[in-house]
Amino acid sequence: MPETEHSLIQRAQKGDHDAFEVLTEEHQRYVYNIALRVVKDENEALDLTQETFVRAWMALANFRGQSQLRTWLYRIVTNLCYNRLPNLRRSLNDLGNDVMEEIPDFDNPVREFESTETRKYLHQAIEHLEENYRLLIALRYQHELSYEEIASTLNLPLGTVKTGIFRAKEQLRRSLAHLEESWITN
Amino acid sequence: MDHKLKQNALIEDALKSQPLASMPRSITMDVMARIQKDARPSLFTWSDFMLGLVIASCVAALWFASQNLPPILLAKLRIQGILLYQDFLVNARWLIPVSMFGLAAFLAALTIPYLRRELLK
Repeated sequence: MPETEHSLIQRAQKGDHDAFEVLTEEHQRYVYNIALRVVKDENEALDLTQETFVRAWMALANFRGQSQLRTWLYRIVTNLCYNRLPNLRRSLNDLGNDVMEEIPDFDNPVREFESTETRKYLHQAIEHLEENYRLLIALRYQHELSYEEIASTLNLPLGTVKTGIFRAKEQLRRSLAHLEESWITN
Repeated sequence: MDHKLKQNALIEDALKSQPLASMPRSITMDVMARIQKDARPSLFTWSDFMLGLVIASCVAALWFASQNLPPILLAKLRIQGILLYQDFLVNARWLIPVSMFGLAAFLAALTIPYLRRELLK
């Protein structure tokens, strides 16, 4: 029977290296993806991921299980990203909180023939978003965190998180409109 | 389908379909090598222990001294304390509240490193 994460954490807290190795193996890809979204450099993202797990090991005794281990690791990696990119924290704080209502998630299916090319284009547009928007988008959609979890992870007000995601989507909508215009003119 | 709804659907689809990048290499071995080299910091350090010991010794010394002083000396000390307090009340009314405020500020400042660590977690 596979060991639960909770017991692995407890063993690692007592100093068991093997348990921490299993946890590192399990979570490193998610942490790496957060770092990669922000710094956009594979080697730097690997460095940040490694540093995250070393710091997690050092501070594991302070982890009281109030949040999931993965969200705790996200908090460490985003703090390391803040150190690496001092403007990131400021740009997140400067987002303000003018979007207070719920942002609806749309589940309308997209027809395959029109989505493939557009999806590729939008994926590129996501890559070209500013780092603060990339971080918010990655946490919300790649890592499926709730708005509240993102706010707690990044230590930001809930309204700021919603505003950031709303603005990122608006930027993507403008990119999409640009693509549609180019279709019409061609 | 309304144009804006269609745009929303396309954006949502793109956001949800972004794949997780695969790692160029595993970092597990590097992490394990580093954590075996660097010892985990202890929650209770030697300086905490020494500070605790000094404070406990001072409290114990004061208690023993107060128990063993001659009663006449204790009474004299009490009188001197009251006189000093009254002197403060007459000549420097501000000193006691300022000292209390300073002590409170000092105790509050002691929590800053801990709070900072918690915020940076």
